[in-house]
Amino acid sequence: MTIVDEGAGRGSTGKAAGPMDSGSNPDLVLTPVRLKAPTRRGAEEHFSPTDAGLGIELTKNSLVARLVRNRKFQFFLILPNQLVFWMVIVLGVVGTVVPGLNFGTAITWYLWFCLVFVMMVVVGRAWCVMCPFGGFAEWIQRKTFWTRTQKALGLGKKLPQPIARYGFILSVGTFLLLTWIEEFFNIAGPGAPHDTSFMVIGIVASALIFFLLFERRTFCRYFCPLTALIGTVGSMGTAAGFRTKDRQVCIDCKTKDCMRGGEEGFGCPWYTWPASADSNLSCGLCSECYKACPSGNVGLFVQKPLTSLIAPVRRRVDVAIGITLLWGLVVFQQFNATNIYGDIDNWLNTKMHFPQYPNPVDYIGLIGLFAAITVGVIWVVQKMNQDKTVRLDSPKTYGTLLSKSTGFTKFLLPITYGLIPVVGADYFARQLPKLFKHLPRLLVSIGAWFGHGNTHYSLYSDRLLSTSQIVNVQVGVIALGTLASVFALWKISNRDLVAVSKSSLAVKVSSVSIAIICGAVAIGLYLAMHGAS
Amino acid sequence: MTLTQDDQNTEVTAHPHVTVLSDRCAGCQECSIRCPVDALSLDVDSWTVIANDELCVGCRQCVRTCPFSAITVDGPVLEGFRTQSVVHHPVKLLGDRSEIRKGIDSWEAALSEASRCLSCPDPTCIRGCPAHNDIPGFIRSIREGNLDEAHDILRRTSVMPDICSRVCDQAVQCEGSCSWSLAGGTPVAIGALERFICDNAPVPPVRVRDGHTVTKKVAIIGSGPAGASCAWELAENGAQVDVFEKDGEPGGLLNWGIPDFTLPGALPRRLWDELEKAGVTLHLNHRVDMDNLSAVTNGYDAVVVAAGAGNSIRLPVKGSDLGNIVDATHFLTQSRLALSGMAGESPISIGAGDRVLVVGAGNTAMDSARMAIRLGAKPICVDWMNEKFAPVRRDELEEARQEGVEVRFGTTVDHFEGENGKVTKAVLLSTSQESAAKLPVTIKSSAHEIEVDLVIMAMGYRIPSDITDRFPQVPIKKTTPELVDRRWRASGLFAEQTVEWARNLNVGSIALSRDIARNLAGVSFDDKIWVIGDSMIGPATVVEAMAHGKHAARAILEHSSSQKVANVLVVFDSQGGKTAEVAKRVESYLSDNTYKTRITPIGDVSTGDLAWCDAIVLATWIEGLVIAGVQVSKRTRKWIETLPNLGHRPVVLVATYGVSPKNALEKCSKLLSAKGGDVKVAGGVRTSTRNVDTYLVSSKVKSALDKINQL
Repeated sequence: MTIVDEGAGRGSTGKAAGPMDSGSNPDLVLTPVRLKAPTRRGAEEHFSPTDAGLGIELTKNSLVARLVRNRKFQFFLILPNQLVFWMVIVLGVVGTVVPGLNFGTAITWYLWFCLVFVMMVVVGRAWCVMCPFGGFAEWIQRKTFWTRTQKALGLGKKLPQPIARYGFILSVGTFLLLTWIEEFFNIAGPGAPHDTSFMVIGIVASALIFFLLFERRTFCRYFCPLTALIGTVGSMGTAAGFRTKDRQVCIDCKTKDCMRGGEEGFGCPWYTWPASADSNLSCGLCSECYKACPSGNVGLFVQKPLTSLIAPVRRRVDVAIGITLLWGLVVFQQFNATNIYGDIDNWLNTKMHFPQYPNPVDYIGLIGLFAAITVGVIWVVQKMNQDKTVRLDSPKTYGTLLSKSTGFTKFLLPITYGLIPVVGADYFARQLPKLFKHLPRLLVSIGAWFGHGNTHYSLYSDRLLSTSQIVNVQVGVIALGTLASVFALWKISNRDLVAVSKSSLAVKVSSVSIAIICGAVAIGLYLAMHGAS
Repeated sequence: MTLTQDDQNTEVTAHPHVTVLSDRCAGCQECSIRCPVDALSLDVDSWTVIANDELCVGCRQCVRTCPFSAITVDGPVLEGFRTQSVVHHPVKLLGDRSEIRKGIDSWEAALSEASRCLSCPDPTCIRGCPAHNDIPGFIRSIREGNLDEAHDILRRTSVMPDICSRVCDQAVQCEGSCSWSLAGGTPVAIGALERFICDNAPVPPVRVRDGHTVTKKVAIIGSGPAGASCAWELAENGAQVDVFEKDGEPGGLLNWGIPDFTLPGALPRRLWDELEKAGVTLHLNHRVDMDNLSAVTNGYDAVVVAAGAGNSIRLPVKGSDLGNIVDATHFLTQSRLALSGMAGESPISIGAGDRVLVVGAGNTAMDSARMAIRLGAKPICVDWMNEKFAPVRRDELEEARQEGVEVRFGTTVDHFEGENGKVTKAVLLSTSQESAAKLPVTIKSSAHEIEVDLVIMAMGYRIPSDITDRFPQVPIKKTTPELVDRRWRASGLFAEQTVEWARNLNVGSIALSRDIARNLAGVSFDDKIWVIGDSMIGPATVVEAMAHGKHAARAILEHSSSQKVANVLVVFDSQGGKTAEVAKRVESYLSDNTYKTRITPIGDVSTGDLAWCDAIVLATWIEGLVIAGVQVSKRTRKWIETLPNLGHRPVVLVATYGVSPKNALEKCSKLLSAKGGDVKVAGGVRTSTRNVDTYLVSSKVKSALDKINQL
């Protein structure tokens, strides 16, 4: 037990008229606080794999530090995107109905969606720091564009535990829903520009509702359709996020301003504590913790690619399930371009009297099936390799969904984390055709805005790459992703799986094989899609 | 045995159930380091907290303090039964002066109550106590059966535990901030336990500290709780203290303001007996002229104005100048004398069966009405506020009603009528009040009259005008800043839930605002003059005044009265650590070169530090981007804004910057000058260069200070 004589109000905000009591007088024990010593044991072991990989602290550079410390930092990142997306909304409704000529649809589907994937693979949650949807809602919630306000607008509820316990699975759910809507209305095709407008308005409106109902970025953390995708695929990225410089300082910190909010910064909107972040999964890069920390103990770090998926000691079941479902979805999206799917969907629609593609039953059914097959393969790998003589951790009392530890999760979690690069590569490859086929149209759509541009312009039909070249690039991207997965799985197996397996080589080979099978499936489907078209 | 027990929660069957939301739990351990029963611990594998329901008592500190709201506790509050001291109304009130509230009368009961204290690692009760008594500390001593040790613990922060335990409104202080209270349960009977200590072991006398003798001479104006505690602290440190009291006996409000049935007169007398024994000189019947304070200041190193706020507020209605309409101050003084069989200077004629109208229903009104009953009269209290919103102590209201006082809320006086220059009738009006935030509105058609023989104006007090004329700053307003102190916030004291016990007030905000005022008590208003207690903040509580006294005494003892610069306070505001580094170098250079130094981060500067120093070195940094918003950091500006008057103290300003300081230094100097700082030098240090020449900076600061001493 330690006795800390804090002197009431020490470290006050400055508003309290300089504060308190002379530390020189030992007799005046003003606020005897006898906080128990926090647990430090195990911190080194728990965090060293993720800390060791931390490369450079960007905020050591004084210019970066000043930039990030500035309260207008995030505002100026959000502002351009905000302008573009309101333009998308307006032009979608009042602009031309030709999707390829409408700036709104052109920039959204030919450029933006692709750029988001580049950012998540290369950086991490780069999109989240500049996202106009959450950004807009957050301005309203905080009643400011950039200043530190103390009272939020709205109800400020906490997301109830029975819902929050599903973690990122909630986001996968909204992503599946949004994708189905997008497919049903053919929004991203791109279809009618006003559909894109409505979709964007829908996202902004739902974000706003959540921001006004719940505290902080509950929407971004749990419900944003993209958050699970960006979080998981983003863990390949090089941004480690805002992390502690010296963990002991954070553990000893008496105020936790980074979490509760301090003078200069809000409490972490993403529910991440820089001192216990072991991946970039839930760091929105908003820099609030950096601004709030009274000890200057938070820094912005970059790391080697793949660190956030290879290194974490604590892996999460919701992330694992999320990855398999996201994998199921992307495979479905490839599969639905084949003739076989068309037949299945038509047959089901006739039976169910459902108007058009895609039938929700086969949509969910197939995604679930693909996810289940992946999980099944991992189960087989577990059965083949697990060394039953190794005692697993005794079950913990908290035993909620997110922290279950069984023989199966011992295999499922590391392997699904290792599959992230191939899943990410597949999503990325899916966006390439639109980029390479239609990006020049973006210029035409800008011209059309000023009355100079129509579908007869040669630029409108110009392609950056031919279809077969695109397929080659797609295959190349998948191959790279597969390679990254193989690398990741080899490292992960060495650390996490060998210890619980009968044969070190067998488990490594079998887990790596899963990545190769996934890569092969994706490549095969691209070739099949190409054949079908 | 005069004890009762709360019979709620008699059946303790189920344990509370704790749910840790592992998705949001960041493993920061804010909950586990504060859990009083070790029910929470960190699971190192997942780096999240796990809970043991078997140990949980349902106090919900974890829920209050979790920064990410990742813990919920369902189920009962396993708090045990509160031992309540009883109120004993004498059968015959006429002429009675006996104390009606009784203390805990057995060790068994005291131990049972003491065992309810959880000894919370982060005790919110201490923050709730205006004096910051170490409550879990003295309760532990009771449990150990060591009342002398309990007194020693109390003595660190209080010189009148016997008085405070009787007169404090614990519901919005310590007991309102008790963990049980914040969890929606019944708080530990802290007041009763404090009184138990004083009832069963004598309050220790003034103990002059060895080797602490200071050669200071201090005058204190007023002998109320603020003056007494200030004198006590000074006397213990060997200072020479003269106290000037306008009345014929010391004690101030403790004497005339609080009737014997609440606070027996022997208790304030004890204070002054002790103080006089310790060498404090008491000048009774000595009124000090506020316009001519300099007559006093000349002979002393410090003068403390602790004259209270004893001017009664009078209702400005027609007929209020009639005879037999008196102030509560006057009534309470005279009735006290009458009850003790003495004759005052201008006694009030009051007889059996007289109809007395008391205007007001606060503490003073209740006291006046209850005194009137003891003099045989029939009092009626009227208050214009709705009973739901009136800021009265519920326990006092209940006691007064039990004694037969009629209290009418939602009623006000329209005017008085009289015969032969004496009041005979009061015309009353009903009022309606929609919410606590809105003022009541009178209903014109509701006029009705009652016959009265005496009217007592008891609507509260204000600071005498001679003090407000001399110190226009008073009364200072007690407010809570928008961003409350971070350590207070970490304690969870500002949690939204408040209980009926604490009248649904946010006890955290109240406590913090008291603390902010108390800090100001440590700062001189003028050179050598301190204004404290009710004279500074307007009518408040005994314990606050006492805390002010102690705080001012500490500052006076620290205060340096030399003209030369000897004590230098280095204050720094650093974000990345560079400014801190510069400040530390400057500080060590100064301390190597004859100066006495202290170094403090900007948020931790105490009033004691400010009182101690002869000069301030402020090291800060310049924010903004090259062209826009270039100025010293916001935190520094805010800090300067809240500084008390610096009384022409020399200030050296050092600011680190990246590209250019532009005119930030001039702007900051202006802010400091506005606070009475005498900015001698303001210089920038460029930190973007590879090596900052801290030696050069240090020597420049030193030469600036040397220069002052040479003049």
